[in-house]
Amino acid sequence: MLSFSGVVKRYAQPEGEVTVLAGVDLDIVAGEAVALLGESGSGKSTLLHLAAGLDTPDVGRIAVGGHALAAMDDRALAALRRGTVSLVFQQFHLIGTLSVADNIRFQAALCGRLDPAFEAELIERLGLRTQLDKYPHQLSGGQQQRVAIARALLHRPALVLADEPTGNLDERSSGAVMALFRDLVKAAGSALLMVTHSRDMADYLDRRLWLREGRLHDAPI
Amino acid sequence: MPRSEPLGVVVRALLSHYWRHPWQAVFLLVGLLAGVALWSAVQIINSHARASYAEADFVLGAQATHWIRSRSGAGVRQADYIAFRRAGFRQVFPVVQARVSTADNAPLAIIATDLLALPTGMAGDGGDALGSANLDWLAFVQPPYQAWFPASVADELGVAEGQQLTLRDGRRLPPAVLAAREQQGRQIFMDVGAALTLLGRDTFTALAVGPVSPEVAARLTAALPAELMLEANQQRLDLTQLTASLHTQLTAMSLLSFAVGLFIVFNAVRFSLWYRRPTLRTLRLVGVSVRALALAIVAETLVWSVLGSALGLLAGWGISHALLPSVSASLQNLYGAVVGADLLLDPATIAIAWGMTLVGLAFALAWPLLLQLRGPALPGGSASAGVLADARARRVLLIGAGVLLLLAAAVYWQMNSVIEGFALLALLLFAAAWALPQALASAHRLLGCALAGAPLVQRWIVSDGWAQLPALRTAMMALLLALTANLGVETLVGSFRTALAGWLDQRIGADIYVNSAQLDTRGFVADPANAGWLAAGHARTGVTIRWQGRPTKVYGLDTTTPDTYALPLAQAAPDALTRWSSGERLILANEQAHYLGGLRLGQTVMLPTDGGPTNYTVAGFFHDYGNPYYQFYLPREEVARRWHDVSSTGLALWLKAGVSAETAEAALVAAGAQPGEWFAQGDIKRLSMKIFDRTFAMTAAMNTLTLLVAGAALLTALLAILHERLPEFAQWRALGVTRRELLRVIAVPLALFVTLTWLAAIPLGALLSWLLIHDLNVMSFGWSMPMLWSPLPALKLGLLSAGIVVLVLAIVLSQLTRKLPQAMAQLGSAQ
Repeated sequence: MLSFSGVVKRYAQPEGEVTVLAGVDLDIVAGEAVALLGESGSGKSTLLHLAAGLDTPDVGRIAVGGHALAAMDDRALAALRRGTVSLVFQQFHLIGTLSVADNIRFQAALCGRLDPAFEAELIERLGLRTQLDKYPHQLSGGQQQRVAIARALLHRPALVLADEPTGNLDERSSGAVMALFRDLVKAAGSALLMVTHSRDMADYLDRRLWLREGRLHDAPI
Repeated sequence: MPRSEPLGVVVRALLSHYWRHPWQAVFLLVGLLAGVALWSAVQIINSHARASYAEADFVLGAQATHWIRSRSGAGVRQADYIAFRRAGFRQVFPVVQARVSTADNAPLAIIATDLLALPTGMAGDGGDALGSANLDWLAFVQPPYQAWFPASVADELGVAEGQQLTLRDGRRLPPAVLAAREQQGRQIFMDVGAALTLLGRDTFTALAVGPVSPEVAARLTAALPAELMLEANQQRLDLTQLTASLHTQLTAMSLLSFAVGLFIVFNAVRFSLWYRRPTLRTLRLVGVSVRALALAIVAETLVWSVLGSALGLLAGWGISHALLPSVSASLQNLYGAVVGADLLLDPATIAIAWGMTLVGLAFALAWPLLLQLRGPALPGGSASAGVLADARARRVLLIGAGVLLLLAAAVYWQMNSVIEGFALLALLLFAAAWALPQALASAHRLLGCALAGAPLVQRWIVSDGWAQLPALRTAMMALLLALTANLGVETLVGSFRTALAGWLDQRIGADIYVNSAQLDTRGFVADPANAGWLAAGHARTGVTIRWQGRPTKVYGLDTTTPDTYALPLAQAAPDALTRWSSGERLILANEQAHYLGGLRLGQTVMLPTDGGPTNYTVAGFFHDYGNPYYQFYLPREEVARRWHDVSSTGLALWLKAGVSAETAEAALVAAGAQPGEWFAQGDIKRLSMKIFDRTFAMTAAMNTLTLLVAGAALLTALLAILHERLPEFAQWRALGVTRRELLRVIAVPLALFVTLTWLAAIPLGALLSWLLIHDLNVMSFGWSMPMLWSPLPALKLGLLSAGIVVLVLAIVLSQLTRKLPQAMAQLGSAQ
């Protein structure tokens, strides 16, 4: 579903060029849930951005569903993000002027893939039934993150990319939301690549990878 | 932290924000600059014009306590002057004044006297005042004479020392001598003998009287021949009074621009405070007191006020130079006042500009600062929180608008001066501006309801207006003010132009108009030799009197000519013209005498005639556009009966069908008129309309500048939205929103708000023009006219607004394209 081949990414810094990814190879198959761990500044988020086509590698090839991102123009990348790839961030970025119900349907409406039955299931399992007519500022942080998860999954994307999705939640809420998130990703039939610095959160997923010194490893040192 | 340090540290912390966000500093300066520039430009012009009026009289007029003038306006004979001098009145000296045009049509005023006849103590002073200490007085009073030019005028006209300037009619001034100082204004000063020769006259304009005791004044009055009169010097007062309304109007427009500029400042300050909320909170957390914080913001305000007013004054200086020709044309055309080109920026203007900037900034800062000091009550980090804060702000503004409306009603009830009229306009405009955000919100809510069943993406695009409204609120208010002012003034000018054209069509009905001192006008009309080609002729006569302290012309009209019996009257008693022409001691007055002089229909007016005060009953008022003076019409025979020294004031000729203008012109030359002393009907109309357009060129320029300031407000607001919401936009792009959809999200609510604002401006503009035409214009100039509403100015402004929106969106799109990739790459990182 997602493949990285020899991906290198460098950033120019005042003290010189820094290589964040130094030849990353990665393959995630359909329906697989992978956790990406690493210390702060190790390049986890950079890898996620490259996977979503939000940034471009200096060297190497990235493909989603077999399609190379380098060959896509801005319009194709936007189409990829609205239909094939979903992103969930630590900041929820809900649309403040739309109701909870409209926020949930937003991305599915963009790609024309509304599924009332799955929508009802998501709302039910995420406990949002009584919140549908409210606006984002009327919800707690945990509730807002549930809305963001529902928005990311309703159109059943082939790949979900999540960056610390529970980073804004307390420990107890984090566990519950994480378990639910994993189950719903499975229910949607999506592959998942989740960046986290928490081993506990990573344990909810099928596979764990560590990013260290610009390369991926199967185990921590 | 030592007790003396916090303020400096806090100010540095606050100002460091602008190093990281230079655009906000630019917005702030643009607002201040835009506001101060137009205001100061008008102030510079106004104070310069007033100084010019004073200068116009400085040389001779201001030193003269009285004037001796001819009752008939024909001038004072040299023999009368000599008689006064021989009778021992050494304080009396001759003055010749005239207006001429250069070959390039630049207006010039000529003033002349006999320097050697100036009263004791004035000769030397007068000479010094002209900067003439080193000038050659002997050469001044002897042929070929000298024309003393103010250096700035000489420079402007390209006249070199010794050069003889050629006038439009080919006459040449005496050799130029450049005066070092500017006290003589734009006047060319020369010897009285030189002026009489140049102008082909044998009478003085008036005799000036230097400071005299009441006893001497009484003796002078007793010694006056019957045709002369002694009057206190009111000339300067006249010009200042006459032009007061125009200067008030200019000031009002400049204050409007200042207010529009303040909206930009308000926006910029609000956003800079909002951005710095975390810094402010951190400072409070580390122990900086609210008082220290407030002091730091005051210090920052001082810094901005100095920078803003300095830049604004600099720009105002440039604008004033650009606008001066238009204002000079207005003053020259309306009042005959000549204003020079040498502008000065006086300390008072600098001080007031700084003071106004400071007050404006304090006003723009007061609200957000108050909210900040009350706690974390500024618009929150999310769009929803911004919407809630906006709703509160809208309610407060709406209440304020209600209060302003009540005040406006109170002012309207008791309005009887131009300044009160402008206060009313300001109250109405600001009430409308303050009510606008709530009106926009209500209309937006209605649209949202109407779109309830529409696809989600469409509803999202429209609903984003709620997130934009807080940022666009002030820009929309500024736009409303600019659009309303533009519409109101354009309708006024359009109505005035139409009224003037119609009035000219009615009043300028003859084929040829003659103004010749050599022509016996009544004899010409009565001459049987002209009967073959002349259908009708109207030889008007007139005398100049003073009525209500102002020079007033009384015209004697032929009651049988086509223009008299078709004279359009703005107000009239029944059968007014018939009764007036039948000699019932009725009089017609211009509208100025009605609106400014307080005359009413049927009222008795007492005029000073040669036989003593004479009463007439007002039978009607006629339009008299462009004339700042009072004017009366009487039958020609009545004028001849009451005044001895009646002069010819022009001749109108109607040609028989098929007669060429050349036939009439040949007859005029044969009768003694000189070429150039007559004009064809079409030429007069064209010239009048040209003068009108020149007069109102300043208004058009001010309108355009105000609209540009509003456009700048819109741009700053949108750029602020862009910077504020960039992370949000990046997130949307990450969700798959295309660039086109993103642009639609920004553009559609903006277009919606601008359209609604434009729609609101149309009735408001009509109200403004109604007040300008029916109240302000009448109070200022004494002219009434029907209001002519045309949709064209509104459509033109709509297109202009659309153009501004497209331009602003293009700038925003380029910024978005540049900044969005970086924002997308930073998604998920600490924000």
